[in-house]
Amino acid sequence: MKVQVKVIGPLIYKTGFSEKDFDLPPATKVADLIARLGIPPERPRIVTRNGKAVLPEDTLEDGDKLAVSPIYSGG
Amino acid sequence: MNGWTGNILRVNLSAKTHKKEAFSEDFAQKWVGGRGFAVKTLYDELKPGIDPLGPENKFIVALGPISGIPAPNTGKAVVAAKSPLTGFYGDGNLGTRAAEHLRKAGYDMLIVEGKADRPTMLYIEDDKVEFIPADEVWGQGTYVCNEWIYSKYGKGVGVLNIGQGGENLNRHAVVRSMEGRAGGRPGIGAVMGSKLLKAVVVKGTKSIPQADAAGMKAAGSGDLKRVGQIDKETGWSIQSTTGVLPFCNEVAGLPVHNFRKTHHPLAWQVDGERCNNARVATYGCPTCTMRCGVTVRDAEGHESELDYENVALLGPNLDIFDIPQMASLNYLCDEYGLDTMSTGCTLSFYADAIEHGHVDGDFKFGDAERAKELLRLAAHREGKVGNFLAEGSRRMARMIGHNSEAYAMQVKGLEVAAYNCKFIPGQALSYGVAPIGAHHREAWIITFEIRHTTRESYGPEKAAKVIELQRIRGGLFEFIVSCRFPWIENGWPLDNYPKYFNLATGLNWNLDDMWRVGDRIYSMIKLHFLREYPQASREDDYPPRVWFDPANADTEGPIAGKHLELDKYDGLLQHYYDQRGYDRRGIPTKTTLHALGLDAEAAAVQAHAKLTD
Repeated sequence: MKVQVKVIGPLIYKTGFSEKDFDLPPATKVADLIARLGIPPERPRIVTRNGKAVLPEDTLEDGDKLAVSPIYSGG
Repeated sequence: MNGWTGNILRVNLSAKTHKKEAFSEDFAQKWVGGRGFAVKTLYDELKPGIDPLGPENKFIVALGPISGIPAPNTGKAVVAAKSPLTGFYGDGNLGTRAAEHLRKAGYDMLIVEGKADRPTMLYIEDDKVEFIPADEVWGQGTYVCNEWIYSKYGKGVGVLNIGQGGENLNRHAVVRSMEGRAGGRPGIGAVMGSKLLKAVVVKGTKSIPQADAAGMKAAGSGDLKRVGQIDKETGWSIQSTTGVLPFCNEVAGLPVHNFRKTHHPLAWQVDGERCNNARVATYGCPTCTMRCGVTVRDAEGHESELDYENVALLGPNLDIFDIPQMASLNYLCDEYGLDTMSTGCTLSFYADAIEHGHVDGDFKFGDAERAKELLRLAAHREGKVGNFLAEGSRRMARMIGHNSEAYAMQVKGLEVAAYNCKFIPGQALSYGVAPIGAHHREAWIITFEIRHTTRESYGPEKAAKVIELQRIRGGLFEFIVSCRFPWIENGWPLDNYPKYFNLATGLNWNLDDMWRVGDRIYSMIKLHFLREYPQASREDDYPPRVWFDPANADTEGPIAGKHLELDKYDGLLQHYYDQRGYDRRGIPTKTTLHALGLDAEAAAVQAHAKLTD
């Protein structure tokens, strides 16, 4: 399945990209994707799908548009 | 008394006099400093109903017990006065060398009274105070004024100054320092201007009294390195706050087209990555090892220091998606000494009102060149349009009529920060109950709302989160007077702040002691509000009405068809009041005030308005 991943803020310097399409096996979970991006699991972050937060154990679906952001605090 | 110098410098510009006044240990421990000192002083010394732009108003610079010490991010000062924008207590903080210098000159607070008979610069050097004519730079911008001051005293002095906006009593005028720093969104720069006070320059050479100076030195040098190291690990300051923009765009929380839209396909053109790519310099405040000032070249070639708020409100909010053009508007605000946030909201309100046929004008969204000219007119109060824009969006809406106040993006007269709460109820509450008007400084809970609860919820957990953050952001950091960024953006532990407070004062306070001071200060601001607006009601704590309008709901994207619901928002507001111990108007009850040690202040307000038991 194909998912589109947008990386936000300083995380782009960890992952090496800001937007990229991924071809993933079915039933891939959010945590699997984060591991694949090279973001340490302990690094605070928020992952959203269509503007809503998803959890590490949530399963991705074909066509998902995800954003991975650090935890901002509004300045 | 350790931690505090124990002194206030009171200056009267009318009489050209000054005196050093000692304050008590009781005052110090009850109000601690910064916002606490300012709110108590202005409550005691100002008569209700005075003209904020008249000589009766007082301009205050207040420091805290860790201001100016060599520890992370302590180079901050609070500026305050009765606000010409909102009509009651107003304040702001800014990074400035004046913080350390004023403390080293021997003062924790400066109170400026009266009005000078000509443009004046106040020069303070330890016990010496001079009233220096500033006619030469009156009419000049803040950058020119800075250079004039540096040529006289060198670059190391502490400077607070105003531009043409403050001189001409634009209600959005701020106090400026160190080129890129600004504070006092509710028109505190206009209060300086009303006193013909162009600048305050400070040089202090004494030491700041500390209970454990050796412990402070050891902790400070280690922590300065540690905070810098944490920032290197997180990479936060690479984009600093400009990195927030794509997040807001993604979750439909970005202000676009006067907040009518929540996201835009071109937002990436002004996001943190592009701002960082365009960077030509980085600036920061004193004692900062995670400097946040992403500086780019504007369309005219000036250096312009960006953060998220000014990028969003002078960019997408005006349908401008071009970094140099947006940076030009930011530069002009800085040069004229105008608040970038309120200015962005006011220009967007004007364009929206024209678009709706509610007022005549030639300004359209996306027209950066016309926006630059309008900024000049507003800063100088030139002509009908300049005077109109200098009043701020709430007054403009009341002049226009047509129910336009519904889309004037402000609360209590202060324009909202760059978070579009069309469907973010908790953050809308945060704006609604921010005590001085819609400031993002007090609480920011968007990530919490999206990550730990549901966006749809109007439950008590959101009110509790707003209060938790108000105690830290609007309380602790504003009375101890230090930058919140090491904690807020990079997770440097909060326990460090009582640690520094205790090293400075020799006391043994914990965070609970800090929350109590913060609650006291918030209650005092509410009493200021009540004293000026005896008919205060809970509707004063409602966010802009357009967010409740179904016709304004997004037609596509993550929150299509969604909008805030008034009855539910009102319920959320009640949760907040209940948890705070406020009555149904949002005013602290007598019981709450008593518990905070504010019986005398409660008695004083009852000459003007009623309190609830």
